[in-house]
Amino acid sequence: MNALSVQGLTKHYPGFTLDSITFSLPRGRVMGLIGSNGAGKTTTLKSLLNLVHPDSGTIEMFGKSFLENEENCKQNIGVVLGEIDFYDQKKLDTVTAVTKRFYSKWDEKAYEKYLEMFELDPQKRVKDLSTGMRVKYMLALALSHNAKLLILDEPTSGLDPVSRDDLLGLFRKLVKDGERSILFSTHITSDLEKCADDITYIKGGKLLKSAEKSAFIKHFDYLKKPDEKTGLSLEEIMIRTERRSYDV
Amino acid sequence: MFDLLYKELRLAAHPNLYIFTLLGVLVIVPAYPYGMVFLFSCIGVYITFMYGRETNDIYYTALLPVRKRDTVKAKCMLIVLAQMTQLLISLPFAILRTHILPEGNPAGIEANVAYYGFGLIIYAIFNVIFLPQFFKTAYKAGKAFLLALIPATFAVVLMEVIVHFPKFTWLDSVESGSMLRQLPILAVGAAVYIIGINIVYRVSAKHFEQVDL
Repeated sequence: MNALSVQGLTKHYPGFTLDSITFSLPRGRVMGLIGSNGAGKTTTLKSLLNLVHPDSGTIEMFGKSFLENEENCKQNIGVVLGEIDFYDQKKLDTVTAVTKRFYSKWDEKAYEKYLEMFELDPQKRVKDLSTGMRVKYMLALALSHNAKLLILDEPTSGLDPVSRDDLLGLFRKLVKDGERSILFSTHITSDLEKCADDITYIKGGKLLKSAEKSAFIKHFDYLKKPDEKTGLSLEEIMIRTERRSYDV
Repeated sequence: MFDLLYKELRLAAHPNLYIFTLLGVLVIVPAYPYGMVFLFSCIGVYITFMYGRETNDIYYTALLPVRKRDTVKAKCMLIVLAQMTQLLISLPFAILRTHILPEGNPAGIEANVAYYGFGLIIYAIFNVIFLPQFFKTAYKAGKAFLLALIPATFAVVLMEVIVHFPKFTWLDSVESGSMLRQLPILAVGAAVYIIGINIVYRVSAKHFEQVDL
């Protein structure tokens, strides 16, 4: 069964349209959502969480309509919006004390384990955490309520190479048992070489391709130059697809 | 529902909301326009909404396992709790002042039954404008505050001025006979407040469903 299935997701803005995005994420897999800045990655993620009100399209999580089962679906997901921090001045302890009340499957032991694993001090304030630590804190919250689907918006942006590698390694471990799935957006293509099983590529609000990684790379073989024998890297695929020439 | 209110109190409410709520005690001041108490409450609410914007409170709530409209419900509950607490805090002081300051309040209306009735109406005026306006964007707290504060202030001024007219002196009395006569104002105030907050929730939730965060 798919952890997430998105059909025809459309959202019109003045000057930008997210146009009929369709993809699905099976259980136990990591999907990277790629695209250049402003391509519609964040709008896609926000639309499928009902933070942005889509004009049309259906979103199913674990086989159920998200809009009709909003509370239930949200019990089973964890969300990290990379650019957004909550309650900067509050201690982690306080934010956790409130958050855990909302989740029926909250596992205090697991939470303590993740805090220790991520070296997070519950007495610290949110503002005192580094970018990487904030992402890890949000992940600790998500994992402690046993989220089966993690939706992460640019979790690796702003992280140093070591923290990034660390986080990507963690993503792989999280999906290993086949129970959890991860959808994360990024414009750092090397993240995907390391940890994604599937790739969904959005350009200018339109879906270019959503496929398993090797099939995805094969699909873009037409971008290869005659002397190139091996498949293109994801970075080359993006650059060659998006390349513009300025007539100045 | 209780969890949402708990979240509002522990994470979303700005300390000023508590301070302005405590200002219900101002009815013990010998000469003061007591209508100000209700306006202080409005300021406390406004600051909390500004603080919520600063702390991304709306995002946090919208991501919790609740419906999107529950974010609105949480805010409505917080406001009702703050306003009712303010009235409750002021009550013992309103009773106390009739004993220790029997000469009355020369500045404006007495803290009597009519005062509480008008207070509920003033709260309702503020709520009915502020919340639906705010949830059109879940961002523009300043505009919503201004639009709501002007009519609320007008209502306070009206309440404070009207008691100086001879025809309405019964509204300014703490005599038991006059207070009995004031009871319908309290009843109307309670009805307006309850109906108001229900409309506020429905309209604000409808607005918020359409908001793109």
